[in-house]
Amino acid sequence: MQTSSGILPPPRRTGLWNAWAPALATSVATIVLVALVAAVVTSASKAAAEDRLAPLLPVITAACGTCHAGPEPAGGLSTEGLFRQGDSAASADLADRAVRDQLVRMHDRVAAGEMPPAPESLADDARRELVAALGSVVDAADRADIRAQGRVGLRRLNRHELEQSLRTLLELPDLDVADLLPEDRLRDGFPKSAEGLDLSRPQLEGTLDALDAALAAAIASGVQAPERKTFRAISTQLFGGTAYGEPEARYFAKGALPIEAPAVDDADVECAIFRSAYWPYHGYPAGFVATSPGRYRVRFRARAVCQQADRSLLPAPQPVPMTFRARAPSGPDVSGDVRAVGGLIDVTPDDAEYETTVVLRAGQTIEWSLLGLAVPLARNVDGGPPTYRFPPLPPGGHRGIALRSLEIVGPLPPGDGAWPPRSHQILFGDLPIQADAASALPVEVIPADPQDDSARLLRAFAERAFGREIHDDDVAPAERVVGAALAEGASFTAAMLAGYRVLLAGPEFLFVADPVGRVGGGEGDGGRDGRALAARLSLFLWNDRPDATLATAAREGRLADPAALAAETDRLIDDPRFERFVTMFTDHWLDLRHLRRDEPDARFFPEYRFDDYLLESLLAETRASVRALFRDDLPILALVDSDTLQVNDRLAEHYSLPPVRGSGVRPVPRPAGSPRGGLLTQGAILKVTANGTSTSPVKRGAWVMTRLLGEPPPPPPEKVPAVEPDIRGATSVRDLLARHTADATCAACHRRFDPVGFALEVFDVCGGERATYRGIALPGEAAVDVVTGIDRAGHDYAYRVGAAIDPRGSLADGTPFDDIRGLKHLLARRPRQLARNLVGLLTAYATGGPLRFSDRRHVEAILDAAEPEGFRVRALVRRFVVSPIFTGAPDPEASP
Amino acid sequence: MSRFGIGFGRRKLSRRTVLRGAGVALALPWLEAFARRARGSEAGPPLRALFVMNNLGVLPGPFFPKETGRGYALSPLLEPLAALRDDVTVISGLSHPGVRGGHSTENCFLTGARGPTRSGFRNTVSLDQFAADAIGAQTRFPSINLGVNVDKANRSLAWTRDGALIPAEDKPSRVYERLFVAGSPEQVDARRRHLAARGSILDAVVDEARSLGRAVGPADRQRLDRFTTSLREVEERLHAEGAWEDRPRPVPSEPAPVDVADRTLPFKGYESMLAIARLALETDSTRLVTLLVDAFATPPFRLDEGAGLSVDDYHNLSHHGQDANRVAQLFEADLRQMTLLAGFLGALAERREGETRLLDRTIVLFGSNMGDSNSHDNTNLPILVAGGGFRHGGHLAFKADDNAPLSNLFVSILRRLGIEADAFASSTGTLAGLDG
Repeated sequence: MQTSSGILPPPRRTGLWNAWAPALATSVATIVLVALVAAVVTSASKAAAEDRLAPLLPVITAACGTCHAGPEPAGGLSTEGLFRQGDSAASADLADRAVRDQLVRMHDRVAAGEMPPAPESLADDARRELVAALGSVVDAADRADIRAQGRVGLRRLNRHELEQSLRTLLELPDLDVADLLPEDRLRDGFPKSAEGLDLSRPQLEGTLDALDAALAAAIASGVQAPERKTFRAISTQLFGGTAYGEPEARYFAKGALPIEAPAVDDADVECAIFRSAYWPYHGYPAGFVATSPGRYRVRFRARAVCQQADRSLLPAPQPVPMTFRARAPSGPDVSGDVRAVGGLIDVTPDDAEYETTVVLRAGQTIEWSLLGLAVPLARNVDGGPPTYRFPPLPPGGHRGIALRSLEIVGPLPPGDGAWPPRSHQILFGDLPIQADAASALPVEVIPADPQDDSARLLRAFAERAFGREIHDDDVAPAERVVGAALAEGASFTAAMLAGYRVLLAGPEFLFVADPVGRVGGGEGDGGRDGRALAARLSLFLWNDRPDATLATAAREGRLADPAALAAETDRLIDDPRFERFVTMFTDHWLDLRHLRRDEPDARFFPEYRFDDYLLESLLAETRASVRALFRDDLPILALVDSDTLQVNDRLAEHYSLPPVRGSGVRPVPRPAGSPRGGLLTQGAILKVTANGTSTSPVKRGAWVMTRLLGEPPPPPPEKVPAVEPDIRGATSVRDLLARHTADATCAACHRRFDPVGFALEVFDVCGGERATYRGIALPGEAAVDVVTGIDRAGHDYAYRVGAAIDPRGSLADGTPFDDIRGLKHLLARRPRQLARNLVGLLTAYATGGPLRFSDRRHVEAILDAAEPEGFRVRALVRRFVVSPIFTGAPDPEASP
Repeated sequence: MSRFGIGFGRRKLSRRTVLRGAGVALALPWLEAFARRARGSEAGPPLRALFVMNNLGVLPGPFFPKETGRGYALSPLLEPLAALRDDVTVISGLSHPGVRGGHSTENCFLTGARGPTRSGFRNTVSLDQFAADAIGAQTRFPSINLGVNVDKANRSLAWTRDGALIPAEDKPSRVYERLFVAGSPEQVDARRRHLAARGSILDAVVDEARSLGRAVGPADRQRLDRFTTSLREVEERLHAEGAWEDRPRPVPSEPAPVDVADRTLPFKGYESMLAIARLALETDSTRLVTLLVDAFATPPFRLDEGAGLSVDDYHNLSHHGQDANRVAQLFEADLRQMTLLAGFLGALAERREGETRLLDRTIVLFGSNMGDSNSHDNTNLPILVAGGGFRHGGHLAFKADDNAPLSNLFVSILRRLGIEADAFASSTGTLAGLDG
């Protein structure tokens, strides 16, 4: 405790964090007393620590001192350095986190029997005693540290949280400012760590830019709403220029038969497209471009068809999934952003009208992007002029859609259609606006009384932004800036924007505080802790500030009631905004953000060339599984295995399941004999754990042990090169890794995770099932082992069928398994460890700091309570949220 | 700095408003600072960089030398560089992984952003802007982006962190004016107003953080201290930017290069742009220049005034299909390009800065997003690196069928510029063979 009565601040009421200061200031004497008691407690606990460790020092020296001493102690751990030899007792500087962390490692490895390496050098009794002593000493020190410093302290919002907060605050759902900020650093696996989220100059410059951009988007773009325009075209007017890949890529048809040069006004003509959006391509309507940014309503009439050898059209047996892409109309070469907009649409074989809404920037258009279709190959035969090779006709013909008409209307007025828009009203209320050619702003607001209006608006905005009652002090700095700007001759509007920037750039908006368990602890807290807890819950499950319901519950002190807190947790999980948790959590926990990192190597996996639809589907599958885990309160074992699969049409094909219709991922029962079910066998997981070219059992095994079980292998030894896969495919990875089992030093660690990876070898770099490896086919090689053809992007391919895959293995304890199913059975024996790992992940994600030693008892208590119900995940989240780990509730034990 | 500068009112601001607050030690122009340094100190003149890119590249056959290493025989297109071969490294076997899609890759040349034709694509920060964030405040202009015949709305080498295009300047006279002629009082005022608008809020935010800091524990206070320190750093940058407005402009050694409005004369425009780039670098007006030669947007062209027109526009010409006449015309164009670059490098080699040649303090990168425009190949990009104190004189060859990441070269360049960067885009390290 470093608090000293001499430097206590004068009572102030400045906001979220120190609203309780007056209560303290009323009784300085109490503070002094508290500080004194704390000092006594601190020295008492130190003495206690020494008392417990001192008698064990000879034991530690004898058992560990051989290696962990001297100038180069093993593993960097020196018992001499850790325990200073005092006059009477051993003392470790327990206030130092690095020292505590070392003691925790010591505790864990001795407890697990891994240290000392020769088990007989530490008798069982001595081991138990040492573990108990280390545990209680570290536990006490850790709790003392939390009491003194708080758990994690102030945490900056990460860029997605800041963007979402601004979207909510200003009611601008399409605001796009996250990329103005530098990428947030990861700590403990997530961009949510109080220590990892730094406050550098570039960070702040980005923040100021983002605030400027948000305010610019909020103010009315003109005195009137932008004029709404309608664009209409029938099929013959739809596209200008070539489709790249003719004649198969796109043509006109009438009565299902191809026709050349139809009459421009012939409404019975269809324009049929048969290719995916990939360079070179422009699938946008001639003559439409968004003149102002905003939402546009798109309607079109189309049906799904199959192109026959004579180019006649048959109705497609399956819907064709598509989306629109927003981009600049820059011809076949893409310039700038390309975004999928308007969501997935399944075009069915019946002629029908479809409607969606797209968000466009000024200067953008939309183009059709048909998913999973052929891609014509642009090539130069013998270096000659470019030509296109359309892939060969598959059975049933080339899939595509036949378009009849298109209508685009917009920009649609934002929100409820009011003008000026809500975002403007949030800043300027109902003050009248006018255009001013001399102004840099699109409109100028006309105040009735600049003084009164600015004071009123600033307060209202601060109340909205901070979610609490506002005092004079809270808006004083902003008022000063507004006043100074007005005095300098700034317009009212410009001056107010400067004031808003002061409020938003300040720490109260950019940071969140640590709840410390004072919820409902009386008026002295001023509601601070309730707000902090509500903010933590909302940032956890929505990446956003609390909504009105949650804020009200906090204000009324209801979050102190565990049942009410759990009910709010459930409400947030059931809300559509929970998807933000699913995305960010899986992006980092399961590395889904790396899904597109490695291109599948077309030399070995031609079937995946340009298959963006597969990647999209894989992403949707894993997100759906994790969403179901939380929403449907599935048992933790669903992580490892499940009878329900989350698939769409493309995934049913990829996983050799009975066909399903449409692009939407939905739950289907697992057919008998399928190895799928659970995260391990999902393509997204199998892709992010491979490198696009080859799979490594070492990497996959280590990934599974780390991410799912929370048992990361120690770092690999230096100077041992990574195993290079054999691109000829002749030698199996198992043979290349033989040393991992033959050499005892390697085996000590590798036996814990290599076998898990071996079972996963039956899945290729995109999660497709396989029985053999593939290798490079050399020219002139005997054709017997070589597979050749033309892929869906028109490229010739040839690969060699290589060595067979052997998925057998045994766990570190010697239990054998035959294949992935057997492995899943064995992993399913460890639900408690799976659940323990999840609680650890949730802690780092939701609280901004990792699980601490003194949290372990809370974790075990959560697990004990969750065990009878089979560690159901939603219930686990509820228990976690009401635990002291999340609420920051003070330690029930006053002193050790 | 901001895409949304909300100016304050219409009245002029006093200079004091802009420069109030803590006194800030301003970066001195390089020469003054250098003169004050003790003789023999390691600090030399600053390093600069010019990144040149032609979006149709060069004919790969006549460009790449047959041999690798230091003793390579000059290829036909490298002949103009004969006198400078010890100042140049030619590199083969480089490309940006995952950056495919024909001409769509051109905006990724300095960014390395993957998948430019895919849904969800958004460009990332370019090499020059990344570097400008670290060293840009030391000069009047953090960076300068130039273009020849450039389609300014759609193409650029320079991209912001959030993937926004920074348009290239295509008139040398305008660049010259910006560099060497002080702005009108209105322009200077507008600039000051923007800086003041941002500066004015910083004090208030620091106040907010301070008052909060008094009421929180020591760990939180430390975090808030870092916040206020960074706010002060932002402010210092603003002051530094504002202060440039009051400093006299350097006097250039030459008059403004001519503006070439005739788009059929790309090489004349090219020469003007290289000249303005040289003036910007030698006056230390900036340390980062990009030059995009938009061959794609170039119509049928002439090598010189009065010469004949090429048989097709530059783009269609690049799809030569092995037509002998087209290949010959492309070769002439490529050779002219190399001659211009050689002239530029020669001029840098003649100029001295302190004890060293300007060339030794200027990293010049030439390259293209196209390895072979004829077949839209985005691998095996033609890359030349000159000057900047690298170890030159050889042909560095990486694998043709398994290219090394071009971003590795970018990391080497960043390090050379004194920027502590471990990674850039798809880099896996620095590029072996340039240092030492």
